[in-house]
Amino acid sequence: MDRLEQPLPCISVHSLTGCAGEELVILENLQKALPLVRVVSFPFAQSANEMRPVDIAFVEGSVSQPHDLEKLKAIRATARWLVAVGNCAVWGCVQGGVCRRFTPEQMARDVYGQDNQIAALPSAPLDKYVRVDVKLSGCPIDAGQFLSVLASLLKDHLPYITHKPVCLECKLKENGCVLVEKNLPCLGPITAAGCGALCPTFGAACYGCWGPCEAPQMEAMEIVLKEKGYAIDEVISRLTAFGIPQEIYSRDKPLELKVSRQ
Amino acid sequence: MTDHERKTIHIPEVCRVEGHSAVHVDIDAGKVSSVTLDVFEGTRFFEKIVLGHHYEEIPHITSRVCAICSTGHVLAAIFAVEQALGIAPSSTTLLLRELLHLGMLIESHATHIYALALPDYVGAPDLSDLASRYPDQFENWNQLRNLGAAIQTIIGGRPFHPVNMHVGGLSRFPAHSDLKKLLAMLSSSLELAFSTCDLLLSFKPPVARTTQPVFLALVPRETEYGFFGNTVRSSEGWEEPVQNYKQYLGEHSVPYSHAKQSTARGKPLMVGSMARLSLFGHRLGRHARSVYTASPLASGDMNSLWNNLAQAIEIVECIYQAELVIEKLLVELPRGGGDTGLKRLPPKAGQGAGAVECPRGTLYHCYSLDDRGHIAAADMITPSAQNTARIELDIREVVTQFVDKEPETLQANLETLVRAYDPCNTCATHMVSVKYN
Repeated sequence: MDRLEQPLPCISVHSLTGCAGEELVILENLQKALPLVRVVSFPFAQSANEMRPVDIAFVEGSVSQPHDLEKLKAIRATARWLVAVGNCAVWGCVQGGVCRRFTPEQMARDVYGQDNQIAALPSAPLDKYVRVDVKLSGCPIDAGQFLSVLASLLKDHLPYITHKPVCLECKLKENGCVLVEKNLPCLGPITAAGCGALCPTFGAACYGCWGPCEAPQMEAMEIVLKEKGYAIDEVISRLTAFGIPQEIYSRDKPLELKVSRQ
Repeated sequence: MTDHERKTIHIPEVCRVEGHSAVHVDIDAGKVSSVTLDVFEGTRFFEKIVLGHHYEEIPHITSRVCAICSTGHVLAAIFAVEQALGIAPSSTTLLLRELLHLGMLIESHATHIYALALPDYVGAPDLSDLASRYPDQFENWNQLRNLGAAIQTIIGGRPFHPVNMHVGGLSRFPAHSDLKKLLAMLSSSLELAFSTCDLLLSFKPPVARTTQPVFLALVPRETEYGFFGNTVRSSEGWEEPVQNYKQYLGEHSVPYSHAKQSTARGKPLMVGSMARLSLFGHRLGRHARSVYTASPLASGDMNSLWNNLAQAIEIVECIYQAELVIEKLLVELPRGGGDTGLKRLPPKAGQGAGAVECPRGTLYHCYSLDDRGHIAAADMITPSAQNTARIELDIREVVTQFVDKEPETLQANLETLVRAYDPCNTCATHMVSVKYN
């Protein structure tokens, strides 16, 4: 059969609760994908949207309200591959981090008043509720990584996504180390790469927005940051701000137990 | 349609806006009985998210309020914290912040005009249709957006969520060679910006509101048109320092929406490109001024749909200003750029408010710091929240005036109207439905 007559694979792009950053990255790179796929739903970018079976559904944002959950379940039911894109969908991002400190009810009361009718759920990543086939973190996702995930899935391959630490990319760029040389509280040693070691390249400390790397060496990170004079509560505050569960950094005991809070 | 008919216009999800919102209009015996713009974006409680974090972390966190205007949220936060700490940024730092901000305005305005608003005017239901039937416009968008993204990448580190902006200054200066690349891109984009204005001037707005809104915008800190300032001016003739924002800007929750609504001294208000042009159009540089003075805006036609045109005029101005800023930076910065030697500032208790003119209007951040430099209290008022009450009033005026129009046409017009405000629901934490009862 003539290749042109074959129907194009279908994709959809959805957002739950987030900053719309992944949608923006996808929109800005869609031109490269348009010859290869049909976009059947992308409400951020087009008016004609259908909820029907797709080969790949990209979902950004966290589940933060009952409406998000209904939508996610409907998307899962229509998608062959469900790809969680961005820190919100993979880890829960800042709105997930804050839900470990306050309940949604407390926050709604404080921000919207006593009589608010906000139906909020504790913000959570997608895999709390549905099966997720591919997790592509980033805040925002890297355009190159997005296109390579798309290309792999279009070829029926699960994509390879690096979880090496940021330090690896930083060394490849031959940057000076901002942790060692500038005493900045850089989280690069325990954070997943993919950004091209962006913050250290700009002379600033990595703040962990892509989530943890594989087997993060938390004990060593803690020792180094203490040596540099950073209070542990500040370190933890930085670590958990972008939705990363604190437990993930400790192998046998929760980090919190070792900490004396002020 | 008789006067006794009850109708509803309901737009369950306004597409081609950032985030999620619905419009609901009830019409009773030919009269509009209620209008609600419901933002059903999930709430994220940013005022709580920042609590307890060190001030250094705040710009990175508030950046995540909204991708497309992340630079605005970063800068408003930095200005507020600097105010609280009692420090003033250097003139070089301010120039670099300004350049980054101009990049955001170009990227955001271009994306709104071409990818989000234009399909209404040319009747393109989806992106591949727009890309295949309007390849030139699609290409214009790409070029202008790339320009904005390039500015933000060179100055801030990436197209949005910048990493190079900190309380007190930047961590790295750009190299002259990179700035010169931007200059070349800017000068080749000016024509595109003019043609964007021409394109928008060629569309006749299908509907119009019937009253003039109250406009609010920051008084630019220099004598030129601009986006940073410490004082706000109202079209009703008053001025107030940003630090007093709580006194002139009312903010309240509404039961049907996750976005709060604002009023200026009790009245619905409009912020954004049209407000800025209306108040400070006389300060535009020569390129943008020539377009502005020949446009319906200069003759007082304040139809909200012209906000798209206002954005296009601002793209022209932003390109012009970015060139001027780069010329100054080429004198002030070391040739190779490089590390700035930014130092951590000693913490101090205090309170401060900061504001910037974002693509959609004035954005306020306000923080209280404790003596360790951690956030004790926070408040943010977004442009989209400020516009919501005025959007509802616009819808009411338009529906009242065109109540006999075909519901499908009217609904489409209302979506176009809402979209012209370029609402950012992720910011406002809001949709369109018109119900005729």
